[in-house]
Amino acid sequence: MDITELLLEAGNLMLVGMISVFLFLGLLVIVVQQMAKLCPVESAPVAAKKPAAKPQPATLNPKLIAAITSAVQQYRDNK
Amino acid sequence: MEGLLTLWHDTGIYHFEWKQLVMMAVGALLLYLAIVRKFEPLLLLPIGFGAILANIPNAGFTDEGGILYYIYHIGIETGVFPLLIFMGVGAMTDFGALIANPKMLFLGAAAQFGIFATLFGAIMLNVIPGFEFSLQDASAIAIIGGADGPTAIFLASKLAPHLLGAIAVAAYSYMALVPLIQPPIMRALTSEKERAIQMEQLRPVSKREKILFPLLVLFACILLLPAATPLVGMFCLGNLMRESGVVERLSNAAQNEIINAVTIFLGLAVGSKLSAKYFLTLETLGILVLGAVAFAIGTASGVLMAKLMSRMSGGKINPLLGAAGVSAVPMAARVVNKVGLEANPQNFLLMHAMGPNVAGVLGSAVAAGVLLALVG
Repeated sequence: MDITELLLEAGNLMLVGMISVFLFLGLLVIVVQQMAKLCPVESAPVAAKKPAAKPQPATLNPKLIAAITSAVQQYRDNK
Repeated sequence: MEGLLTLWHDTGIYHFEWKQLVMMAVGALLLYLAIVRKFEPLLLLPIGFGAILANIPNAGFTDEGGILYYIYHIGIETGVFPLLIFMGVGAMTDFGALIANPKMLFLGAAAQFGIFATLFGAIMLNVIPGFEFSLQDASAIAIIGGADGPTAIFLASKLAPHLLGAIAVAAYSYMALVPLIQPPIMRALTSEKERAIQMEQLRPVSKREKILFPLLVLFACILLLPAATPLVGMFCLGNLMRESGVVERLSNAAQNEIINAVTIFLGLAVGSKLSAKYFLTLETLGILVLGAVAFAIGTASGVLMAKLMSRMSGGKINPLLGAAGVSAVPMAARVVNKVGLEANPQNFLLMHAMGPNVAGVLGSAVAAGVLLALVG
């Protein structure tokens, strides 16, 4: 008789426990989904940086190259 | 002659009882499993050694005043050690996979069925003469099905301290045995075709989401289940330290120094509970059997839930992922990956399985909170 009572209580715990675990984690699912809508993925800054970095080699000033070349040459001549 | 006799009466040999020798053998077996077989060595080594120390006659390690007594008293009776471990685990956990695919939380919830089914089973065992589990005992035993060592120790220390040794040993042994226990169940419940399902790549997750997530979990816990806040709160603290990026030193301390130091003492304290009086009982045998059942049911219910979700999503979810819903991070996720690769060599499920895996940690903490609130 004592066991039937305990078993009933255990069954009750099983039901209540599973429902509350599902409710809690189910609520988290909804909350996380909402959060994803509010937080855009930060891919924008990465995309913005790349084009800014690329043109550098193209804009290497020809005058600058000439200046460096002559400086190197002068240094070598001095030796 | 008198002095010699007194000395003889003081030796270990004179005082040994067979039960203490058996327990020392159990300790030695744990050391063997840790060192030679590499089963959860971080825990089984200190537990095994603690078991040997606790059973030395006349040394008084576990009597009031002995070191093991104090370690247990300070760390486990108060629940502090498992909570510190939880903080470290939080600092090591990346929720990215779960945030990218939050539906995986349902798998973590489904796998907790192992816990509650075992609760029922433990009470059923009372039919057999020799078993007398109260509802508290049954709850503490059932949490083994959550496959989460610190949670099991935390709950056992609150609900059934006299069973703590057996429960902790069962929990950690079965966590080490995940690669043996899970695959046959996973194969039995899924078809070859289902196991071969490949999943879409996960979306990238922003840093802001990762920072907000632990706060949201904590907030939900405060509102709905305050009994789980010790576990969930420490876990979220660790995770926030990791993701916020501003306290890297604290985060590193939580996931290295603190958790390592605590692991040593936690192991010793658990080992100290492996004394003959509490361990060499029929109940221990029952706990070992129930633990294995809990694990198997948890795995099966996770896989069945994943199967259901797979059907509902039109075959986009691989049902193997459900097996990762029992926590056992990251072992269960690795097992899922391995079984998936067997069915389809192109099928890499590891990242996807981390989602339900960390959901399982949350799930078992929530289940522990429910049990504490209802039974404690």
